[in-house]
Amino acid sequence: MNNPNFTTSNELTSHFFRNEYGKLVSVITGYLGNAYVETAEDIVQETLLKATEHWEMKGIPENPKAWLYTTAKNLTLNVLKRKKYQRDYESLANQKPEMDETGFFSDELIEDSQLKMMFSCCHPSISENSQIALILKILSGFSISEIANAFFSNEETINKRLVRGRLQLRKIKIDLSQKFDVDKRLEAVLKTIYLLFNEGYFPANKNQVIRFDLCLEAIRLARLLEESTVVGNKTDCSALLALMYFNASRFASRVSDVGEIIDLKEQNRSKWDSKLIQTGMWYLDKITLTKTITKYNILATISANHCIAETYKKTNWAQILSLYDQLIILEDSPITQLNRSVALAEVKGTQVAISTLETLGEESDIDNYFLYHFTLAELYKANKAFAKARFAYNQALHLAKNPRDKELLKKKLDELVLISPSQLS
Amino acid sequence: MREFLLLIRSEEEPKANLSPEQMQQHIEKIGGYLKKLTEEGRMKSAQPLEMKGTMLSYKNGQIVDGPYNETKEIISGYYHLLAKDLDEAIAIAKQDPRFDEGIWRMEVRPIKHVEGIN
Repeated sequence: MNNPNFTTSNELTSHFFRNEYGKLVSVITGYLGNAYVETAEDIVQETLLKATEHWEMKGIPENPKAWLYTTAKNLTLNVLKRKKYQRDYESLANQKPEMDETGFFSDELIEDSQLKMMFSCCHPSISENSQIALILKILSGFSISEIANAFFSNEETINKRLVRGRLQLRKIKIDLSQKFDVDKRLEAVLKTIYLLFNEGYFPANKNQVIRFDLCLEAIRLARLLEESTVVGNKTDCSALLALMYFNASRFASRVSDVGEIIDLKEQNRSKWDSKLIQTGMWYLDKITLTKTITKYNILATISANHCIAETYKKTNWAQILSLYDQLIILEDSPITQLNRSVALAEVKGTQVAISTLETLGEESDIDNYFLYHFTLAELYKANKAFAKARFAYNQALHLAKNPRDKELLKKKLDELVLISPSQLS
Repeated sequence: MREFLLLIRSEEEPKANLSPEQMQQHIEKIGGYLKKLTEEGRMKSAQPLEMKGTMLSYKNGQIVDGPYNETKEIISGYYHLLAKDLDEAIAIAKQDPRFDEGIWRMEVRPIKHVEGIN
């Protein structure tokens, strides 16, 4: 029997390839320089391909990580020896062969390189679209078609964003030893991570799994920052992690068996993942002593309030409303006002919330956003103003782009027809 | 039980364009399939082949390298397994999860065995 590996059963941890991809590309880019990030991506893809060819037939080795690192190291050295790199990297190529794979890909180097890559990808000179595409491709090991899938986009568009992003990457130099620089840039990195999480958080019929993966990736990246030694002030990292864990705990309850989105009001709270909620609480506890109130801090506390509420009605709406009031002092955006109106309706009544929203619609361009009309329609319905509710649902339907949202709105309109005649009699 | 050689053929490298996640799934699927066959005592050997190598021919009184196949098809690995008859070997081959990805070909050949001589 020459398949001894199949008698032992070594298994790969979930997403092993994807996670190792990000680590290896980051470290190798460190050796080759930012201009050669695509070469690094190719080297790692080839490493994983070699592993696939061997492991599918011979089983997974005792130490799959060491196997990958040795292969990646050798491929990298081969590239370094090639002429076009020789001028810049001659000394590196000469000194590295003595290094074994544990030195070539040391834990410290992996951590540093991943952080450096994260800060580079989130550099303000790169557009938000390209930032997220770069992060997913380079640090999270998603393929172009997987990214396109997750974003309801096509491969050509995603590839363009990557090409533009890589061009910008060439010019970026990040020095992690400058604590000031790191903390200054942290905000942009967290913003991109939060955007990534929110991309995943909107459930879709077809690619539910891959979208939850986006949320998990956002959490993994935020944890790299939170656990790192180079980030000085970690309050926002912890707050964002708490927020993402709380929101992720509701993931399974947000979509029905047939793929319809379920409102917080109607969710089966027993489906909420208590382990994720506990983890969120652990991160929130870490920052209760900090004096500075930040956006993520407030958002996390709002989400925590939902997580601990027994029912929708029993939610501590008064506290949520006061948290939104604080948030508006920090960041007065129409979206925040819109979210606040839900709490406002619960505390001060639907009429107050309706008036506030109607004013908001006149003063901002939020009335181009389907959720504005949707929220208003729900409030009209609760107030038994059915004609206004129907009009608002129709407005929302007109503005909604996603087929899933359109379906939900049509359903809401049908329900309205069922309720309103009985009100007339 | 008879012995069979299953030759896995493909054009170029069908796995090259898989994403890291898909590669991992590929390993896990094929691994599970081979593990089951190994546990059943059917799999005598399963080996991948390197993409390099050469084709030797006898030409004009000497051994030469090449000619290579006209097509790009290459044997990328083989299974050496035991089955009751050709039908069962074919049935086992059809269960190989790599066919989910399409683009693969598999040649199923009984190993020649003459009673009393081998």
